[in-house]
Amino acid sequence: MALPVSVDATPAAPVRTVSARHFARLKLRVMGNNFRGQGWRIALFVGGALLGLWFAASGFFLFAAPGLAGNGEYAVLIAAAGGGLLVLGWLFLPLVFFGVDETLDPARFALLPLPRRTLVTGLFVAALISVPVLAVLIASFGLVLTSWSLGGWSAGLVAVVGVLAGLLLCVAASRAVTSAFASMLRSRRVRDLAAVLLAVTAALLGPLQVFGLAALREADWDRLAGVATVIGWTPLGAPWTVGIDVAQGRVWAAPVKLLITVVTLGALLAWWSRSIESAMVGAASAGKAPVRRGVTGGAVAQLFPRVATWAGRDQFGALVAREARYWWRDARRRANLITIAVVGIFVPVLINVTGGDFAFEDGAGFTAAASDSSPVVVTISMLLVGVLAAVTLANQFGFDGSAYAANVVAGVPGRVELRARMTAFSLYVLPMLGVVAVVLSFLLSRPEWIGLTIGGLVATYGAGLAVNSLISVLGAYSLPETSNPFAMNSGAGLAKGLLTLLAMLASVVAAVPMVVAAALLGDAWLWLALPVGAAYGLGAALLGAYLAGDVLDRRQPELLATVTPRR
Amino acid sequence: MTVEHPALALRGLAKRFDGTIAVAGVDLDVPAGSFYGLLGPNGAGKTTTLSMAVGLLRPDAGSAWVLGHDVWQDPVAAKRLLGVMPDGVRLFDRLTGAELLAYNGLLRGMDPAVVDQRAAELLDVLALGDAGRTLVVDYSAGMKKKIGLACALLHGPRVLVLDEPFEAVDPVSAALIRDILTRYAAGGGTVVFSSHVMEVVERLCSHVAILAGGTIKRVGTIDEVRGGRSLEQVFVEVVGGRTATGEELSWLSQ
Repeated sequence: MALPVSVDATPAAPVRTVSARHFARLKLRVMGNNFRGQGWRIALFVGGALLGLWFAASGFFLFAAPGLAGNGEYAVLIAAAGGGLLVLGWLFLPLVFFGVDETLDPARFALLPLPRRTLVTGLFVAALISVPVLAVLIASFGLVLTSWSLGGWSAGLVAVVGVLAGLLLCVAASRAVTSAFASMLRSRRVRDLAAVLLAVTAALLGPLQVFGLAALREADWDRLAGVATVIGWTPLGAPWTVGIDVAQGRVWAAPVKLLITVVTLGALLAWWSRSIESAMVGAASAGKAPVRRGVTGGAVAQLFPRVATWAGRDQFGALVAREARYWWRDARRRANLITIAVVGIFVPVLINVTGGDFAFEDGAGFTAAASDSSPVVVTISMLLVGVLAAVTLANQFGFDGSAYAANVVAGVPGRVELRARMTAFSLYVLPMLGVVAVVLSFLLSRPEWIGLTIGGLVATYGAGLAVNSLISVLGAYSLPETSNPFAMNSGAGLAKGLLTLLAMLASVVAAVPMVVAAALLGDAWLWLALPVGAAYGLGAALLGAYLAGDVLDRRQPELLATVTPRR
Repeated sequence: MTVEHPALALRGLAKRFDGTIAVAGVDLDVPAGSFYGLLGPNGAGKTTTLSMAVGLLRPDAGSAWVLGHDVWQDPVAAKRLLGVMPDGVRLFDRLTGAELLAYNGLLRGMDPAVVDQRAAELLDVLALGDAGRTLVVDYSAGMKKKIGLACALLHGPRVLVLDEPFEAVDPVSAALIRDILTRYAAGGGTVVFSSHVMEVVERLCSHVAILAGGTIKRVGTIDEVRGGRSLEQVFVEVVGGRTATGEELSWLSQ
């Protein structure tokens, strides 16, 4: 039966306009549906919320301390420094560690007739509905308490406005920056540039922290308060300090600082709105694929990248080659590799150059600090780097998603699979760790510690591989199939955090013998560390692959089901 | 082989997801050398059944045999004989077509020289050679189906299980896939594929099973199932679809 269908020349105007409220309700509904019938997700969410509350409470008391003590002397310092750190944290942590909650993927809205302004405000409001935002809100109300107790209700009221504006600033900054980097990493033309930029940005964190801690050690509080006043006039500190300004009689400063905040917020939202557009058109604007070199050699020769040419042309070799290609070609994995490189450099520098002597009342600078570092401290810092590197594999099957079906269909033995994955990852990570070890030894002007650093790194990395391969089999979760390498499923952020924490704790425990040996064996350990560490790491990794491979053999279909994104 | 095993035998396969029954006890015997079509409307349980038959999804009950090898007890032997093209599953799409074939070939334990030779032939026949160094992720939907088929065929399986091989494929590629499958079946291989395109099933298959609501409704050779009518008539009758639109949707004709 033919149905006469005609199309209106002028589409009817929508009866109701779409507002941010709809986005908020959509986000809540999607979050709710994610929980349906999944007890463990609810448990994870509650756990994450409690953790958030704990941080919120400690932040609250930190911010409220000047008010509770009734002493306004360092109020600006605490507000500007604490608030600034909050903004910086929102800016960098999603890029380097956590990713952003992309429950509402902008690409899903591409076909709806929504003005960009509605879309951006809607997504922004939806982004505000999250546990971290709530935690920051609670914490920052400590500032309101301080302002109120120092300057009465008017100062408190201004502080409320400032704190809310600061929170908006945090969220807008994190969205704008991740979105911009995501679209850069997606584009074939500037992808490598983006990777380098990301690395440099994140690497700046290290020196900044070193600088900050060094300044703290100088302990010239008045000078620090001066610095804080300056920070208070930048977008980093402006929203957080308005209440205290009013309380301390600088009423004229409040409107100016709020203006600074609003202008920054507007700029960030405008920036975000531009990159959202490119995310919505997605692959279509990814640019033309570069014309690659002509095909040389047979299919097998093409599969093996230069780093993996040594591998046999068999099952193991094929897995290594494919993984090695993936660590480079998959934007999500590449972002992880970059993170390791950055963290690998700055964590040990931080611990050894500044943290190690933090307890000492000695302000003579880096060289004195270096002499305070000990084999135990060095080994502990190496332990952190090795563990952080290995923890990248905690969800290695989640990177593959449903593509893992190919390995299930081919019936790859679990042990071969895990050994190959470890090997391919190590092709990239071990050289990086080597560089870290050498750089650190020279930075501490202790070249004789190279064996110690490399040994500690390799041992903890190997132990971490073992722990993480087991976790990757048992605790895998699916990653959203979006083009944003920083995107996380809602709830998965908490799952990831807890899993990562578990993996790191277990890896640290597995690597403790290295620290004990460093403490007990004295100078002999300087020579023994390299061979013993290498053997320990290799043995642990092989044992891990052996045990976890057995589990994997029994769980292949279940693993495939957990890493396949629900649609 | 002394005892003639069916190419694929399913007994009482069942699966439920979160309380809803997807497949409720499927029994099926696919004779060796047959060209078997698994028909069913969307949501009938075709993909779930085939996933359980090839070892991608663990069934709640029942078992599956490939040429006498139990897929869930002796997966290695069963999977060696199987070539699978799942639907709705990504390929390792950050590889080029040639790399993907080499990966799958080596994963199956094939000799590298044979992999090279067969990969080149498959890429040539499936008209994917021109794609050169393009990554599979940038392929069109039809090209992805073709490279998926090539991956399933590469190791020369005895039984080929394809989920929706003709979905999203243009007529030229569909004809090519049909030719390849016909040649494969003529050479003694067994093909099992799911589809809801009656015309293709009618043209190709020697046997048909109609799946609806998680159970097999009709099964047999194509002539038995048709019983003198067209396959589409039988299908609609079995599935119980509606054919007319009445007063609803009147707003479509403003």
